[in-house]
Amino acid sequence: MDRGKIPVDLIMAKLEADARAAKHRLERARDIFHGPLATDIGATPYEPVFQTDRVRLKYYRPETARLKTPLLLVHGLFNRETLLDLQPGRSIIHNLLKEGVEVYLIEWGAPTRRDQFLTLDDHINGYMDDMVEFIRRRHGVPQVNLMGVCLGGTFAVIYAALHPEKIRNLITTVAPTHFNTPKGLLHVWMQEIDVDRLVNAFGNLPGNLVNAAFLLLNPPRLLLDKYLGFLENMDNKDFVENFIRMEKWIFDSPDVPGDTFRQIVKDLYQENRLVQGKLRLGERRVDLRRVTMPLLNIYGRYDHLVPPEACEVLTEKVGSRDAENVCLDTGHVGIYVSSRFQKETIPMIAAWLLAREG
Amino acid sequence: MTQENSGQTASEPLLGAWINWTMDFWDTMAQMGPGLNGTGRSGAQVSRETADAGDPWLAALNLWQGFFSLLTEPGTITAVFQGIQAPSKIILRMAQAGWGGYFHLHQQWLAGWQGNGSPPGEAGYENLDQDIFKACNEIFEQDFRRFLNLPHLCLDGLPQERVIRATVEFNQFQAAMAEFIYLLYLPVKKSLRAMGAVWVDDGTEKPPEDFKEYYKRWLRILEGHYMTLFQSAEYIRTLTHTLRAMEDFALAKQELQSEAMAALGLPTRREMDDLYREIYLLKKSVKGLARKLDQRQPAQEEG
Repeated sequence: MDRGKIPVDLIMAKLEADARAAKHRLERARDIFHGPLATDIGATPYEPVFQTDRVRLKYYRPETARLKTPLLLVHGLFNRETLLDLQPGRSIIHNLLKEGVEVYLIEWGAPTRRDQFLTLDDHINGYMDDMVEFIRRRHGVPQVNLMGVCLGGTFAVIYAALHPEKIRNLITTVAPTHFNTPKGLLHVWMQEIDVDRLVNAFGNLPGNLVNAAFLLLNPPRLLLDKYLGFLENMDNKDFVENFIRMEKWIFDSPDVPGDTFRQIVKDLYQENRLVQGKLRLGERRVDLRRVTMPLLNIYGRYDHLVPPEACEVLTEKVGSRDAENVCLDTGHVGIYVSSRFQKETIPMIAAWLLAREG
Repeated sequence: MTQENSGQTASEPLLGAWINWTMDFWDTMAQMGPGLNGTGRSGAQVSRETADAGDPWLAALNLWQGFFSLLTEPGTITAVFQGIQAPSKIILRMAQAGWGGYFHLHQQWLAGWQGNGSPPGEAGYENLDQDIFKACNEIFEQDFRRFLNLPHLCLDGLPQERVIRATVEFNQFQAAMAEFIYLLYLPVKKSLRAMGAVWVDDGTEKPPEDFKEYYKRWLRILEGHYMTLFQSAEYIRTLTHTLRAMEDFALAKQELQSEAMAALGLPTRREMDDLYREIYLLKKSVKGLARKLDQRQPAQEEG
């Protein structure tokens, strides 16, 4: 029977010791908070080279370019592209530059109510195509390499299917293409959303609603454990700076243009049209068999937002004979901020591109 | 002394009446609270379904009622007004009643913590006890909303209608939000019960000596309960209901704002949206034409 009793005295003694340690930690943390903190995100130097409406194209120049074909990075609309350049040592962009890749990055900007009528067609055949055309002209190359992140990966796949002649190699990271799966909570919830009512009420999808939805994916970790972890490490300056950078990125979700969100929910999440070859953009049908360029499809085994089931089907559906799935032992955001991804996967991507440089 | 005594005596009936009224009030509240929606169901069923939410409520009200009934007993008020002459008896009895209520609350809490422990991932979220939200809605619908249903007459009829609609939608959004938040709280409750089941009830597993172990274990159980909740039909129903209520409130608020903006001679949201749509379509057609021109120019240069 004694085995079942909670050892309250021992727990209390440990709590007391913890409280003493916490007091010292607080004193050290106070010095850190009062001192200067480097918490800027997106700090890698760039040159804004092109702008149309609210959308900008950033150019990152490597010290020595090893690849002739520049790489265009496309992020999704639900979060900021600063994820790819979050902190000095753990920046996808910085590491790509180190590998000698010339990088372009699309910054979607902050949509306002006047952007509510923009559609998927405007984003993919409009803005993205303008950027690709600009890069092709600037470098005098017939094709560019395209890398899409999350929903930006979906955009990249659609663009590659509609304009295969302009894309040399395609890389997708945690990009959903098969939306009819019960594995991801987002996929389950999206099935029930009355998107017309939502868009009619708000015009655009409010960024704060996006933030709340992401937090609700795992409240114990994202609303409790994360902050307890912060309290335990707040006397570590590096930890504090990185934590604040991440917080800045997480809670900086822009509004999503209403009509684009309507199409994403209806055509992609609810009707799963992309992999069925039934998605239409403007007057054209998106046929994945037209994706004939080399494809590298990267996703996370423990991704609760875009589960592997939503990503891995792509290689079977495209027309490319050089299509490869790479499943990493990490989650959705971990793929961009984990040390392992930065150390191993970026050089792997650069080598994959170099091998297909021609 | 005589004057002072007569003063105290004069205040007694007033205080007594107030105490009696207060007792009646808490009595009514105690009856209203958890059992309000019990119509059409057996007492045992209502009692079982509302046990979690209702018992602490009942205990708190009984505590208040006990406190006031003590005050109405003959001689108590006199004793109070006699200051320190007979304090010990009153204080002891009040303390007794207070501790009794407190212990009852504590027992309820422990029962909630220990009882019906279930392992993570197996708990269902059907047939939730949400009587309290239904009760709040009913109070609003039956008691408050009728005051808002005044006839909309004359010049201010339309603005009045807009204000009332925004008020009603706001209340319905608040009720839906409260229900949603309650639903989000349930995994916390269930995880605490599961913890109790493992280490308090069964005693089969050796309890850890480090508090962090309890926390880690609880967090894992909590995550399991949230995953179960988030995939349940009940959660999706409540989520969509809350979203709908939020959308309705947003629309009602916009209509009210538009009314005010129109009165001030400012462009309304709808007018601006129409303008944005026209600009969007114009820009799209201009871009399309510019592309066509770009495609023609190289051909002409080559020709």
